[in-house]
Amino acid sequence: MKSSNEIRPTRRVFLTSVAAAGAISFLPRVGLASQNEATSKTLAFDGDNLLSAGRGLAVSGDDGRSWIELASPGRILALATHRDQPGLVVAGLAEGGVARSRDGGKTWQSGRGGLPAGEVGAIASAARNPDLLYAAIRGDGLWKSEDAGKNWSLAMDRPWLNEAERDPLTLVSVDLETGMGGIWIYAGTDVGLTRVPDCFCRWQEVLPGNAMDALVTGSASPPEAPLPLGEPVLSLASAPSAPERLFAALPSGIWASEDGGVVWRRMIEGTASVVAVHPGDEQHIAAVIGSTLNLSRDGGATWHARAAG
Amino acid sequence: MKPRFLLLACAGITAAIAVAALAQAGGPTAKAEGVTFLGEPLTPEQIGLGRELYAANCASCHGSKLEGQPDWQRRLPNGRMPAPPHNETGHTWHHADRQLFTITQRGVSAVVPGYESDMPAFEGVLSDAEIAAVLAYIKSTWPERQREFQAKVSARDGGRS
Repeated sequence: MKSSNEIRPTRRVFLTSVAAAGAISFLPRVGLASQNEATSKTLAFDGDNLLSAGRGLAVSGDDGRSWIELASPGRILALATHRDQPGLVVAGLAEGGVARSRDGGKTWQSGRGGLPAGEVGAIASAARNPDLLYAAIRGDGLWKSEDAGKNWSLAMDRPWLNEAERDPLTLVSVDLETGMGGIWIYAGTDVGLTRVPDCFCRWQEVLPGNAMDALVTGSASPPEAPLPLGEPVLSLASAPSAPERLFAALPSGIWASEDGGVVWRRMIEGTASVVAVHPGDEQHIAAVIGSTLNLSRDGGATWHARAAG
Repeated sequence: MKPRFLLLACAGITAAIAVAALAQAGGPTAKAEGVTFLGEPLTPEQIGLGRELYAANCASCHGSKLEGQPDWQRRLPNGRMPAPPHNETGHTWHHADRQLFTITQRGVSAVVPGYESDMPAFEGVLSDAEIAAVLAYIKSTWPERQREFQAKVSARDGGRS
């Protein structure tokens, strides 16, 4: 039997739940939950804890049922954590620079370390190395740090899509081999998805691994089902426990891929803005849809709204 | 002078001339020892040919010292990326031999469909052996760490480094 706030990801039920959540938002504030969820701009799992940053920063140890407010190092636009180092949290700041925490966000160290001025709109830690960080500076490019954020150097200019440079709105290190001795970094932009190998040779489309072989041999192209063309990709998450599983938050909903981003399917409709996945359980997903935080424990088959706190 | 000493002296003079020639050319130091291309060991002759071909066909963009174009990580006004370095500061050593050969012969779009680059395809300009020689020369300039990394990438790509 499903709990009373369990949602099937059909359009009708989802819209009903959003309406219900909207109604709840008119009720007096319950703890930090409704305040935090309404303003959540980014989410990240730190082990079993869920971090949410918007106007402030908060952490929940019970899947968003209750929240504890944390001291924020600034206005956080992006968060990154790492499966191998619980407690390590890296935040990209609107006022520029990056802040690091080693205790799950309780205390912070901020600095620029060579980063140029400008909003840090997206940040990621390398899946295989928690000390290797990537930061996207709006209007500038992609920077990297090999010493956990102390020093930064330019890695590459911004991706070029539809005849213009595009700011990465979200970054994620995906633990899938590039064939160039490293792994991929995926980026969401205002016109779609792109990726770059961590050697930073070139931004490129996500294509099936055997696409070139098919081109050469003239055999049938492997199946593809890209994300909706031209739609912003606002948030990306890669499951460290199953790196071929990717999740994307778009204005049209939460989308999932089982093959590293070649074939996508929509898990749930709605104006999605943020998605995060648990580092040890790819079935455990958090997403902000509309102004509501939703959690799934079964890979997106069912969702639990948390607007009531 | 005994023949053995004569041979040694000749070898020494030849080496000194080679070093002087390299210094005059201003190019990076090339070492053939232990470097292979597509599984075949490289010879000093290949590397010498590769150096000449590189100077004639590649250096105008990638730099006479393999240093790449200035500010190579920043996009050009036309949206394309400048020519990257081929030394250890660039990303060439992340690519397998087969991929380097394909890019040189058929252009970057042969490995990344639709990718627009200012680098031309050298098919019809350089023979397969000449392309291999250029890449052999580039590989011969890399420090040990980059060589080992690239050898592993090539080995995984098809067992040939």
